[in-house]
Amino acid sequence: MLFDVSSPLENTRLDAADFDRLRDQVLATWSTGADVDFDEGVQRQLDLPEHKRFSAALEAADERGATLLQPRAGVALLQEQIELLQALQDHCDLLPTTIDAYTRHNGYQEADAGIARSREAGRSLMNGFPAVNHGLDGCRELVDAVSKPVQVRHGTPDARLLAEITLAAGFSSFEGGGISYNIPYAKSVPLERSIRHWQYCDRLVGRYEEAGVRINREPFGPLTGTLVPPFVSHAIMLLEGLLALEQGVRCITLGYGQGGNLTQDIAAIRSLRELAEEYFNAAGFEEYRLSTVFHQWMGGFPREEAEAYAVICQGAAAACMAGATKVIVKTPHEAEGVPTAAANRDGLRATRQTINMLAEQRKPQDHAIDLEAEMIKREVRAVLDAVFALGEGDIARGAVLAFETGVMDVPFAPARANPGVLMPVRDDHGALRVLDVGKVPLPDDVLAFHRERVAERASSEGRDADFRMVIDDVNAIADGRLVGRPH
Amino acid sequence: MEQAAPQYQVVLGVIGSDCHAVGNRIISTVLEQEGIRVENLGVMVSQDEFIDAAIESGADAILVSSIYGHGEIDCDGFRRRCTERGIGDILLYVGGNLVVGKRDFAEVSALFEAMGFDRVCHPDIDLEAFARTLKADIDERYLTREPMRLSA
Repeated sequence: MLFDVSSPLENTRLDAADFDRLRDQVLATWSTGADVDFDEGVQRQLDLPEHKRFSAALEAADERGATLLQPRAGVALLQEQIELLQALQDHCDLLPTTIDAYTRHNGYQEADAGIARSREAGRSLMNGFPAVNHGLDGCRELVDAVSKPVQVRHGTPDARLLAEITLAAGFSSFEGGGISYNIPYAKSVPLERSIRHWQYCDRLVGRYEEAGVRINREPFGPLTGTLVPPFVSHAIMLLEGLLALEQGVRCITLGYGQGGNLTQDIAAIRSLRELAEEYFNAAGFEEYRLSTVFHQWMGGFPREEAEAYAVICQGAAAACMAGATKVIVKTPHEAEGVPTAAANRDGLRATRQTINMLAEQRKPQDHAIDLEAEMIKREVRAVLDAVFALGEGDIARGAVLAFETGVMDVPFAPARANPGVLMPVRDDHGALRVLDVGKVPLPDDVLAFHRERVAERASSEGRDADFRMVIDDVNAIADGRLVGRPH
Repeated sequence: MEQAAPQYQVVLGVIGSDCHAVGNRIISTVLEQEGIRVENLGVMVSQDEFIDAAIESGADAILVSSIYGHGEIDCDGFRRRCTERGIGDILLYVGGNLVVGKRDFAEVSALFEAMGFDRVCHPDIDLEAFARTLKADIDERYLTREPMRLSA
């Protein structure tokens, strides 16, 4: 809850004295914060061997055009978490630690109770690893016990204490952002507050950078994971990238969640990288490392494991063909919730096999991909032009006003700060279009293109394009196909 | 005897620290289309918020969703809490991915029935069929409670 309200929100580097003052407050919000010492954290990071540094792995992959594999994984207890990561580390390139939902809402008391109940039950009753409660020593032990770089993956609007503890313990990448970890993950956190809290996280990473430690930052691309058109997430990725750069972050991975139409997915990753270079350079940033992450399908999964593997492998293929630096891998248990280690490993193996069979092949070049990429770029530029205008050049203020006025709108998001008017739907080929654009200022001819494509589908199905069609699309992949055709 | 058309009123929400909003929105839309009035509390709803809304709206049923795996912790004691707050006989439904990991649904169902839930719904449930079941359950409660209502 703590932030400085005396100054208006703006996209400028946090003042050192203000940061230090906030830092004292942040570290006092839970008992384990007292153990954190920045200089010790820097030394700890400098002592990490090269093969446990996230930024080094990404840089090497980017240079050789490889796509790295990373699972999601988090359980309640430390020993279990160590065993889980050890069971996965030989099947992936980068390790995660997924944080539980109580910690994501700063419910450290509830997390303590969850840990106690998990101990009693003899199994994890939580959906992630409560890193703040396990504290610096627990997190260090975890990083020491594994052989690959480890990232914190979560969904936390106020992740300041989590960042302080995990980075000081040797985690070398931190997922999230002030928009992408608010709008899809919270109900009533004001956007201004979460952006300020993430400026703090980015500034902390900036301080590590200035001390010679490169920490990777990864804005969360998939958002609600449900039919999110590429331009919606790209606009947020670019804003969070720019906000992070301003605070001194220099290693950034921008994300995108698989839509399912191969042409659009390839175009999305390509346009994401090109747009990022365009916007970052225009803002005067030259010295940074950029990479991309492709998330395998984030929506509902088929319950049958054989069918789930098909979804996983299609995502693996799209990630590789799109040239993403990293792919986040799903598991055959996705429809059931948190997977076992064995299921998680099997998702990685299926992904590895698919990528190995595609990695040497030429990336597809196609007029249709170029058209989609151009369309995405025009959409993103239109949205960001409006954000810059609203903020009178300041993107932090512009982002808040953009959500207030409907210029930015994320489909199916729980946050009250989100307008929730924009409604997506698939076209006849499964690409994501807008059914209702709400107040998002897409250019007229781009909007006409969306309408044409949606009309084409409505006519081929002999029904109106309405919310029923959207529901069919939400359920389609779990039901065995990409486009939600009428029954 | 004059019989007014029954009004079905339910409270809907996603319990705990769970922010999965998609299914919630779809359930709400389909139930409304089937003629059920839905007080939709959205995501991240506490037991007491469900109960407050049920008391205020005079709801026939509380529909609890949980997708993120903490359902076992979040739903514990829900019926007891309803009883403490004076609505111990309200219909209580729960559905979603209720526990961490892949477990036999019969086992999960028994676990939540023991907590006092009247129905435990599989995540793949057909929502239109579900709406019919819900209305039938409410009708049954209404009939068994009718003498009390008439005297009120």
